[in-house]
Amino acid sequence: MKLPRLQRRTFGLIATIVLLLVLFIYVVMHTDPLAPVAVTVSTVESKPVTPALSGIGTVQARFTYKIGPTFSGRVKRLEVHVGDTVKTGQVLGEMDAVDLDDRIAAQQAAIKSSEAVLRQAEAKQSFAKTQTTRYEQLLTARGTSDENVSTKRQELAVANAAMTAAREDSIRLRAELKSLRTQRDNLRLIAPMAGLVASRDADPGTTVVAGQAVVEIIDPTSLWIDTRFDQISAEGLAAGLPAQIILRSRRTQSQPGRVLRIEPRADAVTEETVAKIVFNAAPTPLPPLGELAEVTVVLGKLPTTPIIPNAAIRTIDGQRGAWKLVDGDLIFAPVTLGRSDLDGRVQVLKGLATGDQVVVYSEKTLKARSRVHIVQHLAGVSP
Amino acid sequence: MADKGILIKSLSKRYGGGETAVLALKDVNMRVSPGEVVGLIGPSGSGKSTLLKCLGAVIDPTTGSMVLGEEVIFDNEWKVRDLRALRRDKIGFVFQAPYLIPFLDVTDNVALLPMLAGVSNSEARKRALTLLTALDVQHRAKAMPAQLSGGEQQRVAIARGLVNHPPVILADEPTAPLDSVRAMTVIRILNDMAKRFDTAVIVVTHDEKIIPTFKRIYHIRDGVTYEEAGEGRPLH
Amino acid sequence: MISLAGRDILHAWGKFIFTGIGLGLLIGVTLTMAGVYRGMVDDGKVLLDNSNADLWVVQKDTLGPYAESSSIPDDLWRSILTLPGVAETANATYLTMQVGKGDKDVRAMVVGITPGAPGTPGWPPQLIAGRQITRGHYEAVVDITTDFQLGDVLKIRRNHYTVVGLTRRMVSSSGDPIVFIPIKDAQEAQFLKDNDAILMQRRRTEANSTFNRPGVPGLLDAVIASHTSNRFVNTVLVRIHPEFAPDEVAELIRRWKRLTVYDRAQMEEILVGKLIATSAKQIGMFLVILAIVCGAIVAFIIYTLTMDKIREIAVLKLIGTSNRTIVSMILQQSLVLGVIGFVVGKITATFAAPMFPKYVLLVLVDSIAGFFSILAICVLSSIVAIRMALKIDPAEAIGG
Repeated sequence: MKLPRLQRRTFGLIATIVLLLVLFIYVVMHTDPLAPVAVTVSTVESKPVTPALSGIGTVQARFTYKIGPTFSGRVKRLEVHVGDTVKTGQVLGEMDAVDLDDRIAAQQAAIKSSEAVLRQAEAKQSFAKTQTTRYEQLLTARGTSDENVSTKRQELAVANAAMTAAREDSIRLRAELKSLRTQRDNLRLIAPMAGLVASRDADPGTTVVAGQAVVEIIDPTSLWIDTRFDQISAEGLAAGLPAQIILRSRRTQSQPGRVLRIEPRADAVTEETVAKIVFNAAPTPLPPLGELAEVTVVLGKLPTTPIIPNAAIRTIDGQRGAWKLVDGDLIFAPVTLGRSDLDGRVQVLKGLATGDQVVVYSEKTLKARSRVHIVQHLAGVSP
Repeated sequence: MADKGILIKSLSKRYGGGETAVLALKDVNMRVSPGEVVGLIGPSGSGKSTLLKCLGAVIDPTTGSMVLGEEVIFDNEWKVRDLRALRRDKIGFVFQAPYLIPFLDVTDNVALLPMLAGVSNSEARKRALTLLTALDVQHRAKAMPAQLSGGEQQRVAIARGLVNHPPVILADEPTAPLDSVRAMTVIRILNDMAKRFDTAVIVVTHDEKIIPTFKRIYHIRDGVTYEEAGEGRPLH
Repeated sequence: MISLAGRDILHAWGKFIFTGIGLGLLIGVTLTMAGVYRGMVDDGKVLLDNSNADLWVVQKDTLGPYAESSSIPDDLWRSILTLPGVAETANATYLTMQVGKGDKDVRAMVVGITPGAPGTPGWPPQLIAGRQITRGHYEAVVDITTDFQLGDVLKIRRNHYTVVGLTRRMVSSSGDPIVFIPIKDAQEAQFLKDNDAILMQRRRTEANSTFNRPGVPGLLDAVIASHTSNRFVNTVLVRIHPEFAPDEVAELIRRWKRLTVYDRAQMEEILVGKLIATSAKQIGMFLVILAIVCGAIVAFIIYTLTMDKIREIAVLKLIGTSNRTIVSMILQQSLVLGVIGFVVGKITATFAAPMFPKYVLLVLVDSIAGFFSILAICVLSSIVAIRMALKIDPAEAIGG
């Protein structure tokens, strides 16, 4: 039979052409500019927003004691090591005395020598006094001349002066000895407060200049986080607010804390506000100083307003707003935004009402004439 | 001259010119009446093909005259401007091989000629179907040429040659690929059709089987035709 | 009159369809090639679109921030903001680097964005999942082509960032996906070396006696601290009031701040004109070659199809078919082949485009231009076959 064969041929041809056409139309409809833009929508809800601030800081000690000598010298001994706990008044180490002890010995010898001189002066004065008294009696008895008596009086005055000088010299030498002894005492490095040795910057034998720290002691109970918040989001930051602290080494644990104070001086260069955050309870083990910490400060709950996700916010010609979906048509609604929380929910003060449908995610930039195709999730995003 | 059919007088054809000129046809004289089937016989190189091409208006004869029906088509030069239309409307061709158009079905193969002449598709198909019926192949009207047997193809080719009712049909070895029974059938059909449509038919052949059937035969030798009477054996 | 070309095609439609599909695959490659070029141009443009800026303020005499490195102090925005016509300014940093994900890493452009609200210049204009950055540190919005998902943790230098939002088509001009992070982190990342390098640098500084003086305690610490801080950004993005012309404001900044400023058109010229000029020429060459190959194939196919029909054409001529009918038969076949090829090519290109690692943008204009070029190529390539068909002598149909 011929007809079926012809029909089969025609059928095959038509099937091929239809298949190609269907594919072609599908392809044309799914390429620009005819393709609809896949979007997801959400409904504007009324909910309170709990804004929070996030900043980063480093662990620091509130009290740090840098202990060093008051004059240049060499470190003689240092008995504490990093990590040691020290008590108030404990001797941590000593500077090398160099010739101080010899100078004290010399001073002591000088004092003894000045005492001998004093004694000699006393003897001379006592003899002069006796002679003067005797010649005065002789004069009364006209046994001698006036002139001899005057000579003896003058000798007594000289002896008196010599004795005073010898006495003062002795006092000076004693004072000098005392000064040397004080210096000797100052060579010891003493802990002013109980604490933890945080660093040991010089070892015995090292020469240090006056004021250079040899040992650093911190007070472990006074750790705080020196935190920096970007000024743009630091609104509402105040002392006493609760905070969550996450240390870089303990990412999974969140330590409770609170804002101790806002520094009166902000960082003008980095445009950041600096605040001190303290732990409610000191973490154990203590985090090392300088460790990075993320701090989240939770501000108070704000009154209920319409809220939208921050992903719904678009900017057109510098105007912030959101695409509102009304009966399948896109309308750009300019909005005034309020505070937002860290989960990206933003208060809408003006421009949208509760129950409005807004576009949250879109595959590409929307225009007022875009055709949209509402989906649950955009392609490629795991639900 | 006023007679219908085809009349050829002193036709010559020269190929080339000057020293190398070859005179393929020297003096051809033929006359075929409507309804008559004549044979044209000649050995290879006798000028048979050249004559056929001149008659078919695909090459230009050099001198002489050709009258087709009542129209002088050649008198030392072509008197017809559109040779294609002439071939299409006035001359039917039947070839050694059927040369059907493989991508057209049987009806359209036949109907193509009237269509080319401007006849509407449905009218052309009607005409074709009439002829196919006359040639007894109407049952294959929708088949493609490749599905036909050799005899059927040849009949379709004859139908194509006849479809525009040309005054003359040129048949070039129409029986060559066929056995004697089929060859005889073709000759009978040509005779029948010649009578039925008042067409002059020239059959170029060297097929011994069919030569005895012609009443009149033209021999061609070295470009010159000689007329002789044939046996005119009845067809069965 | 029946359509001879149509009948011939119908008769040999398998051959036509398969040849058309073969040609179509080649045309698909051509369209994809054009799409690759469009994609490159688009990569440059989306980068500019997404930055949502009217002006780019960069280091003097640089082509920054995308084509060249540029560095300007990060407090410059304040003085720019005071100029008339400036509506909004925002610092931004751009750095192409490897971003780590587990033990793999992805090449990405890290963009530092100024903290603020969504819509600030430099911020991603839209997301496909998650939310915009709300914390000032260690959050990231990444492009989906990085293969990150929400909640993943990525590593830039030594810091870890949590992925909070995903974008699509946020790429650099070279097609690398963008990772948005807060600018302070980005500034640090630009200059932060790995720990080993920092230690080595510290040691070098310590060895330098100029910095490590025994009599000046604290000098060394100060020098080391100054190494690690970075107070520079790559550009200041400026949005201007609508009533001001960009040139006007740009001129003010150039004149009074002595910086280089580019507007949108100039930026496009830099990114599209300068950066991808050679690539464009490269692709242009490919398109020319592919067009020639397409033409050659069509010519060859049509020539073969015509060669197969010499006898039929001779017969057609003999029985009085006009040359026009024969020419139009060949032309129609050639055009049908072209149309099948185009349809198959367009389908192939569209389905193949998303599989490319870089963006392939198929533009309607390209398809239309491609369609007409293919038709033109088909017409041109059938000239050989037509010339041959016209030369066929009807006498050939008559034996001998």
